Amino acid sequence: MDQFFEQIITGLSIGSILLLVALGLSIIYGSMGIINLAHGEFVMLGAYTAWLFQTYFGLGLLASLVPIFIAVAVIGWIIERLVLSLLHNRPLDTILATWGVGIMLQQGIRLMFGSELRYVQMPPSLSDSVDVFGLSVSSYRMFLFIVAIALFAATWFLMNRTTIGMKLRAIMQDRSVAASFGINSRRVYGLTFGYGAGLAGLAGALVSPLKSVSPDMGTGYVIDAFMVVVLGGVQSLGGTVASAFILGELSGGIAFLQNDTVAKALVLIAIVVLIRFRPEGLFTTRVRA
Amino acid sequence: MTSKTSFPTGLPRLGAQIAPILIVCAIVFALPLVLNNDFLLNKVARYLVLGILTVSLALSWGFGGILNLGQAMSFGIGSYAMAMALKLKTIPVHTGSGGLPDFMVWNNVARLPWFWQPFKSLSFALAAGIIVPALVAAALGWFIFRSRVTGVYVSIITLATMVVLNLVIIDQQSFTGGFNGITDLAQLEIFGFAFDAYGRATFYLVASCVALSLLVAFAFTRTKAGLVVQAIRDHEGRVRYFGYDVAAYQIFVFALSAAIAGLAGMLYTIVMEFASPTFLGVQLSLSVVVWCAVGGRQSLVGAFLGAVLVAGMQGALSESAAFLETWTLVMGALFVLVVLFLPKGLAGLTKSAWRWIVRRRLASQGIARGVGQTREGSA
Repeated sequence: MDQFFEQIITGLSIGSILLLVALGLSIIYGSMGIINLAHGEFVMLGAYTAWLFQTYFGLGLLASLVPIFIAVAVIGWIIERLVLSLLHNRPLDTILATWGVGIMLQQGIRLMFGSELRYVQMPPSLSDSVDVFGLSVSSYRMFLFIVAIALFAATWFLMNRTTIGMKLRAIMQDRSVAASFGINSRRVYGLTFGYGAGLAGLAGALVSPLKSVSPDMGTGYVIDAFMVVVLGGVQSLGGTVASAFILGELSGGIAFLQNDTVAKALVLIAIVVLIRFRPEGLFTTRVRA
Repeated sequence: MTSKTSFPTGLPRLGAQIAPILIVCAIVFALPLVLNNDFLLNKVARYLVLGILTVSLALSWGFGGILNLGQAMSFGIGSYAMAMALKLKTIPVHTGSGGLPDFMVWNNVARLPWFWQPFKSLSFALAAGIIVPALVAAALGWFIFRSRVTGVYVSIITLATMVVLNLVIIDQQSFTGGFNGITDLAQLEIFGFAFDAYGRATFYLVASCVALSLLVAFAFTRTKAGLVVQAIRDHEGRVRYFGYDVAAYQIFVFALSAAIAGLAGMLYTIVMEFASPTFLGVQLSLSVVVWCAVGGRQSLVGAFLGAVLVAGMQGALSESAAFLETWTLVMGALFVLVVLFLPKGLAGLTKSAWRWIVRRRLASQGIARGVGQTREGSA
């Protein structure tokens, strides 16, 4: 029984990392229709920024979270302005453009810092473990879970309870009508992309103490995160949360019984089969196109 | 006059379209006359094979509108099919007759796994290298296209499928050779004819396959099915309202493209003399998309030349490692610029440049002979 609960908690931990990475992706795809293949590179940039702050300024991870968010968000905003804003009516081409941007970011970091693995220290205040229902859980993983949920709540609030969120939702419904009501869609798109990129940067910074930091670390995350978005359905933040934790539990469970690779393969097959029956994802109600 | 100058369906004239293909094929076949170096010939053969792979992507992406980010998966399957057959041929030499491939012996495998058994027959392997990728693509396509999944989703799913297969191959080391791939292969022998990776025979084999795949792909784009596929790319809904089974056409072009990629994969094993998980890696799959975009996705010859030229340039620069690193950065930038400003690639650029020259010439003639002449000439 203990083992079962341990498994559940491992799954939650995987799920919270998935959610952290997928949240930014889901925002960008759901609202702008852009498949951001550079998302993994934003995750990587966040991790490298954390490492930079730690190595050169001696700043702890917790203290540097806000600057990391801002730094990666600014990079995202610049990329949206320079590249993506030119591709508004060509959704397939945004995949290619973001992929190209991703290569450049990855290669740029490799040229600047080399391809050796870097390590980021866990905040000392969170390196012990806490007792949850008689099980000892690493407090850093608890912290990740809480942060993931908090970020989700913040994003939901931004989308549904603020003016900028309302403008964004208006643009999603009809860009030209929104524009005729005086909404500056270019500005909103830029901010949205920057926000999504910033979230990815935070995700990268937060996972950096658990995994090693390298220029190509983003690739693995981005594919898992896409699976979350596909399963959850676009334009559904709640779906993203649910599918992140479902996939987390599934991967954790199968990985416990078999191994990581088998878990990945089975989860993928399950998603492909599921798409046959619910193409719009698990958690979206049917909408008129 | 009209019957000769314009095709009733509005198709460009056959001759104008097939001429570039024939010219490229002729150049490819003539290459051994110029290149007198076996090592160089092997390198060129490698780029030609990558060219075939890129043609297969142009077929599904440029003509079918299906951006398959996992095109290297079919390539990899073809490559492994060939490698498995050639590996089994080495058994008598490496481990004695009735033995196992050497890496299985190192991994303490007791019996030859069931999926290796049929590869004892070379003709099975040759067929499997083309048919298995096509079947896998058709199965995946059935799930994707019957669900009316379109656009970006297709790209994600194909990419993810390839990544997972790659992980499985690396993970199942005792059956697949894992990270090292399948190395130390025998030479392909057909009818007592040996294909040495550095020999002319292999080069001509590759050249023939270049011609074959370009012509098959070209012929497909001219058939009715090929036209329907292009119509689906341009407006899926409208084709569906006409009563066509859109998914069936999409699955077909997806599978055809996979079959050509599988053929390229088999050739790659012969030219490189091994199969490796990197053959179905993200890196290669990405490069294929870049080559295709740079060369021109809506032109088979453009895509082919894009691959040969860009991969060739990369190969030439790879002598120095520092240069290669910068090159990757430049590639990324080049790719972004092509996507932004040259969506039809170099082929599209050449075409518009050609049109511009023709128009200029006709315009200057038109001044002398009157405007009516000009219109007829450009029809």
